[in-house]
Amino acid sequence: MPDLLHRKNASACLHARKFLSRSAAALLATTFIASPGAGFAANVDLSKWSPDYVKSIAGTAEFDTAAECGKVVPNDYKGRLTYWWVGPTQAQPEIDHKMDAEFWAAWKKAYPNIETNAQSLDYNDMLNKVRTAALGNAAPMVAKFPILWGVEFAAKGQLSELKPEDVGYETNDFWPGAMKSVTYDGKTYGIPTNNETMGFIWNAKIFADAGLDPEKPPATWDDVVKYSKQIKDKLGVNGYGLVARQNAGNTPFRFMPQLWAYGGGALDETSAEPTYKTVELNNAGSKAALQAAYDMYVRDKSVPASALTNTQNENQNPFIAGQLAMMIAHPAEYAKMVDLASKATGADKAAAEAVVSNMRYGLLPEGPARRAVVFGGSNVHMFAPDLVEGGLDVDAARAFICFSTGPEWSTKLAWVGSNPGHLDGFTTKWMKERLDTIKFLDVTTSMLPSGIPFPVIPEQAEIMNIIVPDMLQNALTGKMTVDQAADDAAQKVQELLDGM
Amino acid sequence: MTIDVAHQGGAVPASSRRRRPGLLRRIVQNRNDYAYIAPALIVMALVIAYPIYYTVELSFFKTPANLAMDQKIFVGLDNYWTILTSKSFRDVTYNTLIWTIFSTFFAYVLGLGAALALNREFVGRGVLRAVLLVPYVISAVAASYVWKWLYHSDFGVIGALSVQFGFTDRPINFLDNIYTALPAIIVVNIWKEFSFAMIMLLAGLQTVPDQLLRAAQVDGANAWQRFWHVTMPHLKGVSMVTILLLVVTNLNSFIIPWIMTGGGPAGATDIWITQIYQLAFGRIRFGLASAYSVILFIVMMLLGYFYVKALTRGDEAKSE
Repeated sequence: MPDLLHRKNASACLHARKFLSRSAAALLATTFIASPGAGFAANVDLSKWSPDYVKSIAGTAEFDTAAECGKVVPNDYKGRLTYWWVGPTQAQPEIDHKMDAEFWAAWKKAYPNIETNAQSLDYNDMLNKVRTAALGNAAPMVAKFPILWGVEFAAKGQLSELKPEDVGYETNDFWPGAMKSVTYDGKTYGIPTNNETMGFIWNAKIFADAGLDPEKPPATWDDVVKYSKQIKDKLGVNGYGLVARQNAGNTPFRFMPQLWAYGGGALDETSAEPTYKTVELNNAGSKAALQAAYDMYVRDKSVPASALTNTQNENQNPFIAGQLAMMIAHPAEYAKMVDLASKATGADKAAAEAVVSNMRYGLLPEGPARRAVVFGGSNVHMFAPDLVEGGLDVDAARAFICFSTGPEWSTKLAWVGSNPGHLDGFTTKWMKERLDTIKFLDVTTSMLPSGIPFPVIPEQAEIMNIIVPDMLQNALTGKMTVDQAADDAAQKVQELLDGM
Repeated sequence: MTIDVAHQGGAVPASSRRRRPGLLRRIVQNRNDYAYIAPALIVMALVIAYPIYYTVELSFFKTPANLAMDQKIFVGLDNYWTILTSKSFRDVTYNTLIWTIFSTFFAYVLGLGAALALNREFVGRGVLRAVLLVPYVISAVAASYVWKWLYHSDFGVIGALSVQFGFTDRPINFLDNIYTALPAIIVVNIWKEFSFAMIMLLAGLQTVPDQLLRAAQVDGANAWQRFWHVTMPHLKGVSMVTILLLVVTNLNSFIIPWIMTGGGPAGATDIWITQIYQLAFGRIRFGLASAYSVILFIVMMLLGYFYVKALTRGDEAKSE
C-alpha cells in the first residue's frame, strides 16, 4: 500500500537511536525456527543467544518513543483511531493493568489530537467478534491478534498490507519467526508486538518428597511420564498438569511441544522449508507423543482427571495449593503465583508462599527428535479500508502502530508474560528492570531458539484448536485407540487441506 | 381456490355460498389495521426474515477458511448431503434427543410435583415457592460455572462428599468421562428448568374447579383418582404448552453444554446447537453450519406449529 510508505524518511529518523542496539539486533535476528528460505539466515548468530547474552545487552540503549514516532506521523496530527485487543483481565497480575494504564496515558500525551476508541475484548470472544465485524464492514482500524489469527484474515483479503517499514522500523528489527507469522502469500500483513515461549515449571519440594532431584527438571518427555507417575504413586498428588480441553488455545500450546519433541507434527512445520502440504499427525513421532499422554492420563492416572475440561487456568490453583508438581507455562506464571500467594489467607497463605519459594523454572524437556516450544506472541494488523467502520485513518493507525510496537512499549506491554517483538526492546532499561525483577524470565527467553510457529495457513485455527484437542480427547477417553485417534486426526487435516 | 360446494351435494348455508373477497381486497378493506402493525412487520422482516433468507442461501455454498464470503462457492445440496450422511450428525442427533427428552421429561415431572405440593396450603409455602424459583431466575452462565466446580473431577464438592461418605474410592469423574458427561449436564439442565414447569403448572392448577374435586371426593374417588381423572384433564392444555416450550428451549440449549464441557469430552455432549456454533465459528464453515441451522429450523417450525395449535385449541373450540 504505497500511501502508507514514508519508509525512507522514517527509517532515517530512527537510525540514530539504533546506534547501540543495531548490532545486537542483527545478531538476534535469527530464524530460530530454521527457515533459510525466509531470507534472515545471514543475521543468525545462535551461538550468542543465551541468558547471559540477553542480560549483557539489556539497558544499553535509550528511546524516546513519542519523539521518534512523531517523525513518522507528526505528534499534532488530528485524526481518529479504533483499536481492538485482548486487554488485561482480572486473572492477570496488577503490573499488567498498571502498564496498560500507563500506555494509554502515554499515547494520549504523544498524540493528543487522535480521538481513540479502544475496545478491550475477552480472548475467547474476540476472534468471532472480529470475523463478524469484518463481514459487516464494521471492523476496527487496528487490531492486535494472537499470533494464530491473522493469517485467516490475510487470506480473505480483509487486511491491509503492513510491514515494519510503513511505521518507521525495519523488518530485521523483529524476530524472523514472528515476521513469518505475518507473511501470507509473499506479502506482509502485520507487525509483531510481542513474542513468547513457555518454560517448564516444577515444585522442588514435591520433587524432593517424591525422591526426585529437586533442582533438576525432567530432561526428556519420557522422564515427565516417569516423574509424574512417581509423584502420584508416592504422594498422591498429580504429577504433570496435562491440558486437553477442546477448542482452547492452551491445549495445542502445551501438547505440540511434546509432539514436535517426539518427531511429530501437524504438517511439516518443523522442517527447514515447510510446505504445509504434508500431514504428519499420524507419523511415528506424533503417535509416540499421544501414547505418552495416554500413559499419563489413562494408564498411570498421574495427571488431573479434569484435564479434558481444563485450561491452564485450572492448573494454577492446584499448583499453588501444592497439589500439582509440574506444568508448562509462561514466565508470567511466577507473577501469577506470587499474586495468588499474596491474596491467600490463614494457613493457605503459608502454604502458598512455600510453593512460590519452591517454584523452579527450566527448559522444556527434549524428545528423541528435538527440544521444542511454540513460538507464540501477538501481532498488530490494519484492516482493509472498505471494511473499517467510518473509514480507515491511515496516519492515525500508523502513529498508533509505531507507538505500540516500538522498543519501549513492546517491552512494557509484555512485562510479565512475554518478550518484546521489537528486538531493540531487549536493549532497553525496561528489559533490564524485567530481568532484575521477574524471576526465571531468562529461562523462557532461552527457549526462543527452540520456538516453532504453528503452520501459517488459514486452516491452522481448526487444526490446532479443534483437530489436535479432538485427537487427544478421542485417545484419552478410550473412544479410539492411540493409533485410531492419530489416523482420524490426520485424515481430518488431509480433508481440510483438500478443501472439503 | 373456491369450491363449488353446490355440486357436491348436501345442504350448504347461504352465507358460505358467497365468494370470499380476495387477499388484496381484504388488505385494502382493513388498511388501518395493517398500518398499525406495519412497523412491527418491517422490523420483523429486517431482523428475522432476512437472516433466515441469508442462512438458507448460505446453506447452498461452501465457505472455505481462505475465502472471503463474497467468494463463496455454490455447491447445491452438497452441504445437506454431507451432514445427513455423516456419522457425526447421527452422534450429535442422538445426543440432542437424549438431552431433549430426558431434560424435558424430568423437568416436567419435577415441576408437576413441585406445583402440586405448592398448590396446597401450608406454613412457609411462600418462602418455598421463592426458593424453588431460584434456579429459574439465576443466570445460566453463573449456574454453569458453579455446577462445573461442583462436578470438578479432581476438586469438586460432589466428588469429595462421595469419597468422604465412602460411596466411592476416588472423586467421580463427571465431566471428563464420555459416559457420565451428558447425564451430568442433563441434571443441571433439569435443575435449571423445572421451576419454569412448576410456575406454568401452578397457574394451571388454579383453574381446576374446587367443586369438581370435592364432588369426586364425595363420590369416593381416592387422591390418585382425583388427580388422574379431575386434575390432569384440566392440566392437559397447559401441560402441552409447557412441554412444547421445554422441547423448543432444550433443542436450542447452548449455554450449559458449551460452558460446562464445550461439547466434549470427545463429542460426548455435542448437541445440534453446539455443533452449529463449532462449525460456524470454530471451523469457519458457514455454509455447512447454515445447512445444519436450516435442518434445525425445520424441526423447530414443526414444533412451533404444534405449539400454536395447542395454544389456540381453546379459541377454535369457542369459534365452533
